[in-house]
Amino acid sequence: MADSIQSLKDVVLDFDIDRAEEVARNAIDSGTDPLLAAAALTDAIRQVGDAFGKGDLFLPDLVCASEVLKKAFPIVNDAIEKKGATQESLGKVVIGTVFGDIHSIGKGMVSTLLYAAGFKVIDLGINVKGEDFLKAVKDENANVLAMSALLTTTAMEQKKVIEGLKEAGIRDRVKVVVGGSPINQEFADSIGADGYGSTAPEGVKVVKRLLGIKD
Amino acid sequence: MRKGFTRKFEPLRVLSDSQVETIHKRTLEVLAEVGCKFESVRALELLKKNGCRIDLEQRLAYFPPDLVESSIRMCPSSFLVKSRDPKDNLLIGGNTLYFMSSLGARLSDIETGMVRVPTMEENNQAIFISDALDSIDLYSGYTPYFEIEGVEPVMLCSTSLAMRIRNSTKITRGTQPTDTFIWETLIAQAAGQELIGNMEAAAPLSYPEDAINAAYTYVEAGFPVYIAAGSVMGGTAPVTVAGSTISNNAELLAAIVFIQCIRPGTGIIANDCVFPMNMESGDLFFCSLGSSLHQMAFNQIWHDLYRIPTNNTGSAFPNSKKADYQSAYEKTHVAMASALSGANMIVFHGGVTAELSYNPVLAIIDDDIAMTIGKTIEGFEVSEDTMAVDIIKDVGTVPGTFLNKTHTREWWKKEYFLPKSADRLSYPEWLNSGHKGAIDKARERMEHILATHKVKPLSSDTDRELDKILNDARKYYRDKGLL
Repeated sequence: MADSIQSLKDVVLDFDIDRAEEVARNAIDSGTDPLLAAAALTDAIRQVGDAFGKGDLFLPDLVCASEVLKKAFPIVNDAIEKKGATQESLGKVVIGTVFGDIHSIGKGMVSTLLYAAGFKVIDLGINVKGEDFLKAVKDENANVLAMSALLTTTAMEQKKVIEGLKEAGIRDRVKVVVGGSPINQEFADSIGADGYGSTAPEGVKVVKRLLGIKD
Repeated sequence: MRKGFTRKFEPLRVLSDSQVETIHKRTLEVLAEVGCKFESVRALELLKKNGCRIDLEQRLAYFPPDLVESSIRMCPSSFLVKSRDPKDNLLIGGNTLYFMSSLGARLSDIETGMVRVPTMEENNQAIFISDALDSIDLYSGYTPYFEIEGVEPVMLCSTSLAMRIRNSTKITRGTQPTDTFIWETLIAQAAGQELIGNMEAAAPLSYPEDAINAAYTYVEAGFPVYIAAGSVMGGTAPVTVAGSTISNNAELLAAIVFIQCIRPGTGIIANDCVFPMNMESGDLFFCSLGSSLHQMAFNQIWHDLYRIPTNNTGSAFPNSKKADYQSAYEKTHVAMASALSGANMIVFHGGVTAELSYNPVLAIIDDDIAMTIGKTIEGFEVSEDTMAVDIIKDVGTVPGTFLNKTHTREWWKKEYFLPKSADRLSYPEWLNSGHKGAIDKARERMEHILATHKVKPLSSDTDRELDKILNDARKYYRDKGLL
C-alpha cells in the first residue's frame, strides 16, 4: 500500500496526466484505503501549490497537476462513496466566471489553489448565470461563493449575484469573494462583497481569513 | 491626409518563403478541419450560403481553402479612412506606418505607479494632448481611459468616442461590447467621420455574438474593420510562436471570410494582439520577446502573402508601473521590431502598468520614441548631394571642417531628429537649469500644448446631435436593465 500511496503522489508531482487514471485505479484495486489515497493526492497538489507560491513552479505545472487530479480523483471518490466514508475539507467553495464572461484562466488558478489548500471546490466554469450561482450555493450549502470577471462590462454581474443572494435570503449564509482584472477593493466594497483578491494566491488567503482558518 | 512614416527599404523577414507557405497551408487545414465558432445563426447561414460547411447545433463553420483564399484576395491592400477634417484622413496599407494611441483603465501617476479614476476633464485633456502630438495618427477604442468618473460602464465606449470626436479630428477605432457599436456608428456618422470598425475573437477559434453584430453594423455603415483575436500563448493559443501564429491566423482569416461575405471589398486591418502568458501569475506578458517575434512573423505573412494591412499591439503596454527605464526599453524594442518588419500601425503612446493605466505625460515622451522609430524606417537618401564627395574633397584634411558648409546647415535638419522631451544638455547646463529630466520636460511640453493647441470644433448642431445619441443610448441600456 505504501507503494501505491507514493505512486499517487508521484503521478501528481510528475504532472503525468496520461497515467493518472491508471495509477488511481491500481491503487484502489490493490486495496489501498481510498481516504489515504485521497490524502496522498491532496498532499501532492498542496506541494505543487506551495512550490508555485514560492516561484519554484509555474502555471503550466500547476494546471497540469490539477489535470492529474481531475482524472485520478473521480476513481478515488467512487471508492470513498462505496465505502460509505466522507472526506474532510476546510469548507465548500462555489466558484465561477460570471455571465457574459468567458475568461477562465484566473478562475482556474484560484480553483486549483483552493483545492490544493484543502477546500472542496465546486467549479461551475465560465459564463455562469446568476441563478446557477444561487442554486449551487443552496444545493451545496457552500461556505464561500467566489466570482471572477475579466471585463469592465461584466464586473457588475457580480453585484447582481450578490443582490440575488439577498433576495433569496441566503446572503448571510455565505461569504462572497470577488476577483478579476477590472476588480479592486473599492469595487468589491461597493457591491457588498466580503473579500477581494488581486492574485490567485491572495484569493486563497482571503477565503481562509473569512472562514477564520489560519495560514 | 496624414503622412505617417513611409518605410523606404524592404521589411525585415524572419521566415523563409517555404515557412510562410507552410504556415498558411497548415492554417487552412485548421480552418477546414477544426473550423471556427460563430455565436450567431445569422452569421452561420451567411457562411453556409457562401460555401462553408455548418454545424448549427455546435455553432461551427468549416472553411473550404478556396473560399478562404478568394476572401483574402477580396481585401484591399490599402484604403482611405475619412476624418471630419481631411488633414487627418488616413491611407492605410502599403509601406505606410501610422501610430495609434494606447489606452488604460485609469490615470496613472507615472512616478509613483499609483492609479485613480480620471475625471471627464482629465479624459478630455488627454485626448486634446494626443491631438497635438505629431506621431499619433489615430486612436484605439476606449481611448484614453476606459473608466471615467461618473460614466456608467455600459455607457463608457460611446461616451468616450463622443469625447474623442469632440476633442480631436484624428481617426478613431470603434468597439464591440454590449451593443456599443450601434451608438458609436451613429456618433461617427453624425460627426461626418468614418470609424474603423472592430471585430474581436474570443480565442481559441470563436467569435461571440457581440463581435459578429459589431461587424455587421460597421460593415453595413461602409467602415473598414479592425480584426483581432487577442490570443494568449500557452493559454488560448499554443505556447510556441509558430503554433500561435497558425491559430491566430485561423481566427483572423475566419473573420475575413465572414466580413467579405457581408460586403466584398471591405477594408481590413489585421491586428496582431498575441501575448505570451506570464507563467508566474497567469497575467499577460506584455512587451515581451514572444510578442515581438510573433509580430515579425505576422507582419511578414500578412504583408507578403495576404497583402492586408497590419496593426501590432505588442508595444502598447509595458510591464513597468512607471515611466522608467524598463518601460522605455520594453516598448521600444517591440515597436522597433514591428516597424522594421512592415507593420502598418503600431499601438504605442501613453499606456503603462500592463493595460491598467494611461498618462498623457508618458504619451508625450512616447511621441519622441515613435518619431525616432518612424524616422528609422524612412532611412536616408543616397544621392550625389548626400554622398557629398565634392565637399569631402573641398574640406580635405585637418584643419578642414564641415561645420561652416551650407551642405551641413541644409542637411542636418533633414536627417537628424531632435527629441522634444529628452535631456540633451551638457552636464554644467543641466546643473544650471534645474536638473530636469525627460518627465519634467514632457510636463512642460504638456503645459505648452494645453495653452496653445487648437482643435477644429464641432458645429453646435453636431454637438447637440451627439448628446441626443448618447441620451438614446442611455434609454436603450436603461430599458435593457443595464443602467
